[in-house]
Amino acid sequence: MLDVLHSLLFSTLDAAPALIFAALGAVLSERAGVIAVGMEGMMRVGAFCAAVAALTMPTPLAVVMGMLAGAALAGVHGFLSIRWRSDQVVSGIALNLVALAGGTFLLESLYGPNGTPPIQQLTRWNIPGLSSVPVLGALSGHSAPTYLALLLPFAFQGLLTRTPLGLRLRAVGDKPQAVATLGLSVPGLRWGAVLGSGLLAGLGGAVLSTAVLDRFEQHTPAGLGFMALAAMVFGRWTPVGAFLAATFFAFGNALRIGLVSSAPGLVELIPQGVLLALPYLLTLVVLTLQGQRSSAPAALGTPYEQESR
Amino acid sequence: MPERVRQMLPSVLSVLLALGVCWALIALTMEPGTATDAYLQMLWGGIGNWPAYLDGAAATVITRPLGESAMKAAILTLTGLSVAVAFKVGLFNIGAQGQMLLGALAAAVVGAQVSLPGVLHVPAALLGAALAGAAWAGIAGLLRIYRGVHEVISTIMLNWVALSLVDNWLVVGPLRGAAEGGQSITGTAEIQATAVLPRLLGEGSRLNLGFPLALVAALAVWVWLTRTRSGFETRAVGLGAEAARAAGIPVARRMGMAMALAGAMAGLAGAVLVLGTEGRYPGTLGAPYGFDGIAIALIGNNHPLGATVSALFFGVLRAGGTRMQLLGVHKSFPELIQGLALLFVAGRMVWLALLRRRNVAPAASAEVPRA
Repeated sequence: MLDVLHSLLFSTLDAAPALIFAALGAVLSERAGVIAVGMEGMMRVGAFCAAVAALTMPTPLAVVMGMLAGAALAGVHGFLSIRWRSDQVVSGIALNLVALAGGTFLLESLYGPNGTPPIQQLTRWNIPGLSSVPVLGALSGHSAPTYLALLLPFAFQGLLTRTPLGLRLRAVGDKPQAVATLGLSVPGLRWGAVLGSGLLAGLGGAVLSTAVLDRFEQHTPAGLGFMALAAMVFGRWTPVGAFLAATFFAFGNALRIGLVSSAPGLVELIPQGVLLALPYLLTLVVLTLQGQRSSAPAALGTPYEQESR
Repeated sequence: MPERVRQMLPSVLSVLLALGVCWALIALTMEPGTATDAYLQMLWGGIGNWPAYLDGAAATVITRPLGESAMKAAILTLTGLSVAVAFKVGLFNIGAQGQMLLGALAAAVVGAQVSLPGVLHVPAALLGAALAGAAWAGIAGLLRIYRGVHEVISTIMLNWVALSLVDNWLVVGPLRGAAEGGQSITGTAEIQATAVLPRLLGEGSRLNLGFPLALVAALAVWVWLTRTRSGFETRAVGLGAEAARAAGIPVARRMGMAMALAGAMAGLAGAVLVLGTEGRYPGTLGAPYGFDGIAIALIGNNHPLGATVSALFFGVLRAGGTRMQLLGVHKSFPELIQGLALLFVAGRMVWLALLRRRNVAPAASAEVPRA
């Protein structure tokens, strides 16, 4: 029993960070008032660039390259939706389609259909003394992003709720006009949030191809960017909430995979497809129950116009 | 410049720019000659190899590619209409993909499980698909109207729910086709011969009834939007829900109806795919035509006929994409062109600003056009 729990926890901690980083990125962007449907595309670009960069440079540096690639795509999103006040959903969807087709095209042209050549994965850290403790031992033996993913949400929550910068970021998503009357730059704050969300989504993607796998695969990130949106909504647009939701989704997934191999009888009773649909169904239920009292930022999706004050 | 032309210019310029950028991409990684050849192959693969035909080749060098283009264009037209109709009432339907999956499944079930004479079977399967798509989109519509849930989030979630339930449960579980001749098949059972969409150009070409059906649907939507009272009210809601409500227009009903119609269009796209080419719901539907619909609608300026034109154009490109493989260019290339074109269309404001600076006297440029 303890063994089962140990392996469940271990695989959750391995799989969750990519989702957590993307969900945090989505929270950052949306709290500043910019819709984050482009997460999927930014993750894909991050995953691709990290995998390709890792062929020629040390893997940690390649992860940074992946982050920068995500931020570059976010820059396009910012240019269109902040600078030119385009529809944020349109620009996000466009980025997803470009990343999807562009990733496939480059992968097929450069490396063929089986993904990029294998790379050196990120090193796994063994915490001395912890490995032998039952259940808690699952905390040991992960790569750096896992530990970062466990700490970052709390730091981010602190930043958002306890610092002047956090207050401004939240205000720019709820009532940008108020921020402008303080003499602060609404576009500047939004640019910062969008680029930050690109870095986080790129990190999430890079983790997929350097820690979870050892290459970029055709379908990466296979909808994880959209699940990050679900985690954000489920976590009521707060960093810690999104972190808990993302961890919960990842745990559910690990449980499902574990059940398929260990208890096929149960899976016949509750089909896999239903289990796969659960995170999205739960998110819909939460949204329905919240209704008008949704915690979504008030000015989400509204381009800011200087004159409209 | 007439207003109508000025509205269309950003889309046309975006598509041209995307074509140019992608040409440069091949030219830089391979040879400039290869890039031009690849584009020619894409054209011949899409509209038929006319030079070969004029040199005396069989007519299939024309009809086969045209059939492939028409097949893709029909599906893209319907998903594009789905997104465009929702846009007209002010809703962003990201969920065409999920609605299409449900429609495809309904068409496959009606096509395989129900026995009807030929005249009735195809309409019944199409109706089933339209209803399934409408119901799936209706969930998002109802959530928006009664609970204020933003349709972008709800349709994204519904897409994944549909994908998980259909591809990972129904099609591999309860609705899986019976194994024939000892071979186990993936997906639902083969549809009956009476439910197959008739082919229009003989067996050499896959052009089927789905193509005229899509064109009629586009025309019907256009007539409805521009020539009927409910269509006018729908557009009024899209332009400003509060003003429409003040004018006595039943906003909730118009939103619900438009969303259901959007779902029906996407459902029909699934039906055309299943009844016209696949013959059943395969293990996985694969191609994300529902997401393509977003690009098609926006490049077509959210106009039913504009969406049709852009669907025809990209249908030709994507059918021709397979022929680019001959030159070592991967067949996903046309999708890249389409994605970039959408990205450039998203920069509509940039285009309008550029056009204004060139062509209109400063006095006339005071107001900023909104996308």
